[in-house]
Amino acid sequence: MQQLNNIFELNNISKVYERKIAISSLSLTIKKGELVALIGPSGAGKTTLLNILANVLKSESGQLLISGVLSDKYNSGKKLAKKIGIIRQQFDLVGQLPVVHNVLAGRLVEWGFLKSLLSLIFPQEKELAKKALDRVGLLDKIYEKTSNLSGGEQQRVAMARLLVQKPEVILADEPVSALDPARAEDILSMLTKLVREENETLITVLHSVEYAKKYFDRIIAMREGKVYFDLPAEKVTDKLLSDLYDLKELN
Amino acid sequence: MKKKILLPKLKYKFNFVNFSILIAIVLIIASWMFIYKVDKADFGGLFTEKNAFYAKKFLKGMFGIGEETPAFKDAESWKNVLKLTYETLQMSVMAAGFASIGMLLTVIPAARNVAEGKLTLSKKWYNWILFGFIRVIYIFSRSVPELVWAMIIIFIFKPGIFPGALALAIHNFGIIGKLCAEVIEDTDLRPIRNLASCGASSGQILIYGVMPAVMPKFLTYILYRWEVIIRTTIVVGFVGAGGLGMDFKLAMSYFKYSEVTLILICYLFLVALADIVSEGARKLSS
Repeated sequence: MQQLNNIFELNNISKVYERKIAISSLSLTIKKGELVALIGPSGAGKTTLLNILANVLKSESGQLLISGVLSDKYNSGKKLAKKIGIIRQQFDLVGQLPVVHNVLAGRLVEWGFLKSLLSLIFPQEKELAKKALDRVGLLDKIYEKTSNLSGGEQQRVAMARLLVQKPEVILADEPVSALDPARAEDILSMLTKLVREENETLITVLHSVEYAKKYFDRIIAMREGKVYFDLPAEKVTDKLLSDLYDLKELN
Repeated sequence: MKKKILLPKLKYKFNFVNFSILIAIVLIIASWMFIYKVDKADFGGLFTEKNAFYAKKFLKGMFGIGEETPAFKDAESWKNVLKLTYETLQMSVMAAGFASIGMLLTVIPAARNVAEGKLTLSKKWYNWILFGFIRVIYIFSRSVPELVWAMIIIFIFKPGIFPGALALAIHNFGIIGKLCAEVIEDTDLRPIRNLASCGASSGQILIYGVMPAVMPKFLTYILYRWEVIIRTTIVVGFVGAGGLGMDFKLAMSYFKYSEVTLILICYLFLVALADIVSEGARKLSS
């Protein structure tokens, strides 16, 4: 069964925003365990593609298979959350809550309402949160108010949440765009390391080609809603990249 | 040769702010002219000997001049007024408490983004009906002034601090409800979408995403309204709701001006207390 090895299968996916084509008949396969970077100029449809993969957006035509199952079958949020975890920019955490609750939010998928409510007063399954925070190096900040943390630290908390959530795939939408280069490298190397350790799949939208080549196995470049090239990271040449970001409009 | 810079031609467009300022100036001049010319107002009339005499008498009375034992030097009246101050405090806390409980029970469906299903990411057919119903209750309860509520309630119950508190609570329920519903409408949706992607149900989103974000602002509004309520107790006291307000009215009617002074001192204390408490609570919650 080859299919079971494919976490995502896209067949002729199209998405149109008010007459503007965001994605036009795109077909892709992403295997389990791959680390994929999505690059390309602004407006190429990278984030749209990510949102379609996350099942947040519905495509107009074509079909998407997640682990061999049609995406429409994932109608409950709980079912989807066990498959797919999302990390975006640092504004995704509840700033007023202590770090521990933001990490344990990854368990909400398993918990009922009463347990979640109780956890706000007496954190439940605290060992899980401790372990996850230890792995991202933030154990000492466990009871700190999340909004007091720096941008890089907040992204690490988001990663700790994903460690607790344990999805099969992580979709990251420009996770380092709000950070300085040193913090960005720190976050990306940690993210890719954790994903490898957990045997997960990672798909990241990135603006930096340099990081894409350094940390990812496979680079998918998009331009004007189409795949411009799809190559292993080491085969991406400077010529391809300069063509990709060329300001001239394609015919 | 110097390069000539061509300015784009200035266009005179209708500007609402400028227009309103102009209208305001015209109105101010016109109304003063009306007061002088048509109404023949006489400012001298305010400063007659007769008025000066009454003012002097009232102020002297307030400072207790010419009185054997002014109320603020009398232990017995202090005891009495302090007891009433405590009652007033009870009434205001009760009123703020009732209003807040009512608000907390109704505020979530009263937010537009909840009715639209954007906040909890779940849409139900009755959302809009509930939204409209609660908003109408808010408007109704706050459009009737506290004084009128107090008169109605005291007509039903017997006078006392409980009906006073109830009247204040009903009026402030509408105000706090509206303010807090708007706080929910301004909630940042990004953390909430992310919680949803963690598989949180709408109930879990409510307690993890919405509540922590809105509670500090709720507290600020509740404490601010509490301070307003303390001051308004004097108004509902007038119609028999008890507390310092009722005593104030009696003191005025019996020309006990030094007691008026004492009551005002107590109000000063109360408002200062409210200030300290709300400042402290806001520091703790932020």
